[in-house]
Amino acid sequence: MNVTLWGTRGSLATPGAETARYGGNTSCVGVIGRDGTVLVLDAGTGIRGLGKTIATTVRRVDILLTHLHMDHIQGLGFFAPLFRPDLEVHIWGPVSSHISLRERLMRYLSPPLFPVSLRELPCMITLHEVPCGEVAIGEFRVSSALVCHPGPTVGYRIVDPQGGVLAYLPDHEPALGSTAFPSLPLAWTSGAGLAAGADLLIHDSQYSAEEYPRHVGWGHSSFKDALAFATLSGAKHLVPFHHDPSHTDIDIDRLMKEAMALITPACRVTTALEGATFQI
Amino acid sequence: MTDAKSIQIILARQLASSIATPVLLVDAQNALIYYNEPAEAIFNQRFDETGEMPAAEWTSRFTAVDDDRNPIPPNERPMGRVLAECAPVSRNMWMRVSGGDWRHLHVTAFPLVGEKGQLFGAMSIFWAI
Repeated sequence: MNVTLWGTRGSLATPGAETARYGGNTSCVGVIGRDGTVLVLDAGTGIRGLGKTIATTVRRVDILLTHLHMDHIQGLGFFAPLFRPDLEVHIWGPVSSHISLRERLMRYLSPPLFPVSLRELPCMITLHEVPCGEVAIGEFRVSSALVCHPGPTVGYRIVDPQGGVLAYLPDHEPALGSTAFPSLPLAWTSGAGLAAGADLLIHDSQYSAEEYPRHVGWGHSSFKDALAFATLSGAKHLVPFHHDPSHTDIDIDRLMKEAMALITPACRVTTALEGATFQI
Repeated sequence: MTDAKSIQIILARQLASSIATPVLLVDAQNALIYYNEPAEAIFNQRFDETGEMPAAEWTSRFTAVDDDRNPIPPNERPMGRVLAECAPVSRNMWMRVSGGDWRHLHVTAFPLVGEKGQLFGAMSIFWAI
């Protein structure tokens, strides 16, 4: 599969010269299979750029939302393929105990927050609530599980026919309340089942180790904890993702260097950079 | 995926490991999957030493009787009832573990139910009387 990072920023889009290299768009990752299956992971502001690359010959797109915080759905209304009547769009998102996925999405995709209502979009939309076990989407097998982050939030594990595995956990705080993190067994660590042995792990790394104690419970990880999580889960390649809006490119370089000095990861590490592409 | 615990169970353990109230956790099959340090003091054994135990094993190690010293069978104990009825249970009982001292306790147990109504297990807290 081919994996492209269209938005790497967390919480708030952060354009500007100081963030130009790692990127200012919020979470969005495009996954293209060998047979042309198109998956879109989250619909942050990065999805606008991705939308422009989807060929008119594509008949189906699956958008996998990890959760409905604004930085993960804000770009949805600007995803141009939604305005194609011939396109089948499947949106997958976390279940809630009382309010349907459609109703929750419509809180944003309806006036006054957005001029076009979800039901008025020309494409053929089908909504799916997750986690719902393993599902086949085109050539991929996709599984999801709730992970530690405020409100219903899932991570995804995507497996291609050759056995290549992408794990996507952009908003995740496995260390929350765990006095023993990262030394608990894999089964007792949030998200570790999704990430186990992944060829590519895209994981939250919003804070520095120094910043994290002031943000415990906010649902995000430090660079250091992201490295520890990758090591624990046996991932082969970690992509630290969901950069804090207050971090400039220079800050991110420094934080990564500091984290690597604290923990020597057992895997390759490539800090998420908008536009970067990975092959699995 | 590996045989990962659900986030509801993971967070329940993380809560239990952070509080001074004795807590025991079971999964939906009534297997004992965790008890915290305050509970270790009541049970007189450490979780690290016993580890997880199937229902038959831990319910035979943990002897329970009512205030009249009549034995309470596993399906009548709070955890057994919570899982069968999917509703909270609270009662007094005497308990001892592996032939240790009898403890007079008030036990409150409640189910851990997911967003879709699925039962993940149960948590019980123990209060010395």
